[in-house]
Amino acid sequence: MVLEATMICIDNSEWMRNGDYSPSRFQAQADAVNLLCGAKTQSNPENTVGILTMAGKQVRVLTTPTSDLGKILSCMHGLEVGGEMNLSAGIQVAQLALKHRQNKNQKQRIIVFAGSPVQYDKTMLETIGKKLKKNNVSLDIVDFGEDEEGKLEKLDALFASVNSNESSHIIHIPPGGAAISTALMSTPVFTGDGEGGSGFAAAAAAGGGNFDFGVDPNLDPELALALRVSMEEERARQEAAAKRAADEAAREEKGEPSNSQDATMVGKAAEAINNASEPMDEVNALLQQAIALSMENSGSDPSVHDSEMAEATNEDQDLAMALQISIQEAAKDSSSQSDMSKVLEDPSFMPSVLASLPGVDLNDPSVKELLASLQGQSESKQKKEDNPPSDGK
Amino acid sequence: MACLHDHSCEDHDCSSNWSLYKHIDLPKVSALNEAVPGSAKSVFKPWEHRLNSSEEHLESNEGDPELLVYIPFTSDVKIKSIAIIGGTDGTSPSKMRAFINRDGIDFSDAQNMQAVQEWDLVENLNGLLEFQTRYAKFQSVASITLHFPDNFGGDTSQIHYIGFKGEATQLKRDVVATIVYELMPNPSDHKTKAESGGGFSQVE
Repeated sequence: MVLEATMICIDNSEWMRNGDYSPSRFQAQADAVNLLCGAKTQSNPENTVGILTMAGKQVRVLTTPTSDLGKILSCMHGLEVGGEMNLSAGIQVAQLALKHRQNKNQKQRIIVFAGSPVQYDKTMLETIGKKLKKNNVSLDIVDFGEDEEGKLEKLDALFASVNSNESSHIIHIPPGGAAISTALMSTPVFTGDGEGGSGFAAAAAAGGGNFDFGVDPNLDPELALALRVSMEEERARQEAAAKRAADEAAREEKGEPSNSQDATMVGKAAEAINNASEPMDEVNALLQQAIALSMENSGSDPSVHDSEMAEATNEDQDLAMALQISIQEAAKDSSSQSDMSKVLEDPSFMPSVLASLPGVDLNDPSVKELLASLQGQSESKQKKEDNPPSDGK
Repeated sequence: MACLHDHSCEDHDCSSNWSLYKHIDLPKVSALNEAVPGSAKSVFKPWEHRLNSSEEHLESNEGDPELLVYIPFTSDVKIKSIAIIGGTDGTSPSKMRAFINRDGIDFSDAQNMQAVQEWDLVENLNGLLEFQTRYAKFQSVASITLHFPDNFGGDTSQIHYIGFKGEATQLKRDVVATIVYELMPNPSDHKTKAESGGGFSQVE
């Protein structure tokens, strides 16, 4: 998200007719430039990008730094290939264009696509590099295409003299491999010095289909972020649960009576749920939720459930893990739960609530059973709290 | 034009005179040709700490003694004099040129433009030397850019402290913040008093 003004120096010399990058060096370069402009303008809406061509009769500025992506893309049309690349003049004109940028708060960056041989000698390039460094201009060099002897050295020397604090980069793209644009996408040229255009790059790469959660991070960043965060939370919780299950499996379980009590309560509540199915289906859902909550409450003393879990683990790993996860969840927000539990345990409250629900008849035997189980559970909870917890600590 | 303090500084607190450092907008201070980006901020400190050489200082790149420091203030100030503490071994700057209220100056601009004032500096390691300004020209300074073109022969230039003496006004030199440009006039934007239903309209 760095605020930047960028000048892109395009090589449109004769050497760009070559086909070792498909369809031609020039086309591959143009694609890369288009992608780069998009990434820069996306990463910060106030970023500006300008383009100039280095070869031909003279260095020509196609557009001064602007944030209008359409203008930038349209000026890439109709470019002619010919002449020789003039690297030094190109960089100097780019520097001048950046000097006169409208927003002086933007950092200055020049991106050079060097596809043809470099005529200038190393010392001259080093002076240019020093001048750029002195004026706090970063330089990214994309070396592709013609691999003339000494070109690599010269570009490396230029890079070394310009680089201050890792803000400049040099990338070498060999022919025959991936296209220039794809090769660039993983480099710091695209992604900036930290994160940055990675969202755009991912969008471009996936072509709209392969997002992690089926949500385009560009279209709906908050949703994508929320999904990602909840995914990581769930993963972390499952890992912790798996670890605990492994620990419990090695422990001796004690506390049979409490186990049986829990078992009967589970059985009773399940029964009650099953029985109360016909007349009140939506009410049922509410009741089930209430019961589930109160069931979790009974397990809010985690040590008791530890022993139960150990037993269950031997029988059914998945069920145990699922139960553990829900228990842990309950244990986590036990404060809110305890309020709920107090409400649920109040013997007069539940009947009054149930009476107010439509379709629930307090005299219905299944409802009565349900109430009894809830109240019984609250009494047993009292008993458990009285007994000093002794099992499975 | 330089003057030495004609009293010993232990008697009274000189730091109150050099209090303009509080009005410097530190996050926006920038420098060109510094070896360590961001080190320019470290040279602005209270008068008492001016000799603390343990902290960072501003150093130029190897082999290039030029330095350019851009200092914006949080409100308009009047600058009476400037104190500079340089480095040892010829790394102290030898000349200082000041530009007022211009931002975005780089080295080529600085070399071509006429400075508001120029000084020949001396090696001044304890900061008691101050360089007076032509006060009339430094009356409402929102930002000052100091250009140090040369030093006393060292490989780099070092600056350990820059202090400003003067007064701060409470005024802010405001840029016009929100401007709305009209390409074509839109009558609905320009309601007359009669249309908006208020005010007396006098008919003579």
